[in-house]
Amino acid sequence: MRFALLQILATAALLAQSADPGDSDPNINSRYTVESIGFTGQSHYRLSSGAMEEMHRLIGAKVSTEALTRLARRIRSELRATEVTFKLARGGEPNHVRVLLEVDKRKSNFDLSIPTFSYNSRQGWTGVAEASTTVGANTLTVGALSDGDTLAERFTGFKLKYDRLALKTDRIRLGFEYDSYHELYDRATLIALDNTPPSSLGAGAYRSRTDFEPSATFILAKPLTLTVGLSFEQMQPQVSAAHSESANAVVNTLRYHQRWEDSDANNQELDAGYNLRAATRSLGSDLAYTRHMINARYALRHEHQSVEVTLVAGVIYGHAPLFERFVLGNSSTLRGWNKYDLDPLGGNRVVHGSVTYGYHIMRVFYDTGSVWDQGKSPEAKHSAGIGISSGLGIFHKGAFLLAVAFPIRQGRADPVFIAGMNF
Amino acid sequence: MTVSNEDLIARRSGDLIRVTAPRLHFITEKSLQRLHDGSIVPFDFQFSIAAGTRSNVIERAFERFTVSYDVWEERFSVVRLRDFRKSASNLSANAAESWCLENILARTPALPADRQLWARLEVRSAEPKEPSSSPYADPGISITTLIGIFSRPPRPAQDHWSLESSAFHLSDLKP
Repeated sequence: MRFALLQILATAALLAQSADPGDSDPNINSRYTVESIGFTGQSHYRLSSGAMEEMHRLIGAKVSTEALTRLARRIRSELRATEVTFKLARGGEPNHVRVLLEVDKRKSNFDLSIPTFSYNSRQGWTGVAEASTTVGANTLTVGALSDGDTLAERFTGFKLKYDRLALKTDRIRLGFEYDSYHELYDRATLIALDNTPPSSLGAGAYRSRTDFEPSATFILAKPLTLTVGLSFEQMQPQVSAAHSESANAVVNTLRYHQRWEDSDANNQELDAGYNLRAATRSLGSDLAYTRHMINARYALRHEHQSVEVTLVAGVIYGHAPLFERFVLGNSSTLRGWNKYDLDPLGGNRVVHGSVTYGYHIMRVFYDTGSVWDQGKSPEAKHSAGIGISSGLGIFHKGAFLLAVAFPIRQGRADPVFIAGMNF
Repeated sequence: MTVSNEDLIARRSGDLIRVTAPRLHFITEKSLQRLHDGSIVPFDFQFSIAAGTRSNVIERAFERFTVSYDVWEERFSVVRLRDFRKSASNLSANAAESWCLENILARTPALPADRQLWARLEVRSAEPKEPSSSPYADPGISITTLIGIFSRPPRPAQDHWSLESSAFHLSDLKP
């Protein structure tokens, strides 16, 4: 009996020896757990949410040369780097290692991207193209866009942004952005403007606007950040003889963004924020108003299934210009409704919620919300839709969505086709 | 890099011939740095035996060994990729190099007993950017791939070593 036990132990020891350093990874370090993944030096890079998710998935798992090589290739592709390599170093705890990614951007620190590209069969195309270059902790971004989706007006123009990604410490970032847009209005908006007393809006239609926005972002306690800044917005009226109007505001944004992965491979993500824009005459503003907005997004993914819930609520006190007013009925809110049917001028109150269920690439969603003006009664609207969404492997970042959405109302079904890409 | 012919010594072990090379050290410089950084470094080996003249190769063996360095234990590990599961761990750098040499073998039945023989060993580090340097691209790397690798001259950035023994007869070999 004792001999048999010894034989079993010896066999087990032999098996363990033969299994070392691992049956699938010739790297002896594959027996250690990844404690953290970061970049060498004081480097800062903007990565897609997909790459960030991949990094989070690897933390807490055993070292896999294959998975780390795949991650390095993905980051190399996203950053247009010459090479991305990884190093392992002892972690803070026994049997844990830190993964340090080293990015070689000697030949290329230039990035060309299309952060947004979407089509709504009612409201047309929206596209944003950006080119950015990073030297050390300095990033310069130039963008051109035409957006007929997010505001009551279509705005077309360019943006120029400088970011200092670290200021002595990587807990402080600085940004300076200059935007210049030309505005176009839907006929429904122009008619509504004609029928609206001038005093109820902060400004009527304007033909163009420019904005200069310096800001500082503080990482209070990861993942909580606070951005404080100023916005100097200048609006040129439709009639050239009239004088321009300004909306100079204090801008504050508090944001919380966290991802988790538990032992059952459930991926969770919470992104919540509060934004305040307060235009005040003390900054030389012609308009005075306060705009509060909160938003939250929670996503849960388990294997091939996912659920995403989003909530948005906002309120404006005072008379804000059109670009500040809330809009529903576009490619991301009350999908299926036409924003010009709901409120061609937008509103100064908004509440919106959305639930999306996904299985593999299939998506089913339900939106509900209301946009209205102070003193009027909110009227809840609902919509539902079905579509497909997936990451684009060849681009490694972003995703596309093709969907058909229906406003839920009595009488007729009037579908809206939505196509969106996010690189 | 070429080492003098006294540095490659052939030994007989039954029907097999293996070599020792006490002065050959290939876990050095760039490769050693990559290993200390926790990466794997594959090394490709070609062991050949010529008969009659140095250019008349009558027996060849190819192997790829993948070396890694335990960042906690500070010891080396080697995996022979042809059969993928022959491995050794907890080794010093010298011991890891010796283990590779012990596990590349030529067969004696194919060798003539009456002619002069020369043993030759070539070692190359796989380039980091070379697709085949990822053992996952080709886990059981084929002989064909290794023949292809050694049919090309080493690239300028690639570390490589070449050793040749003195002439010997099969009967001279010590076990």
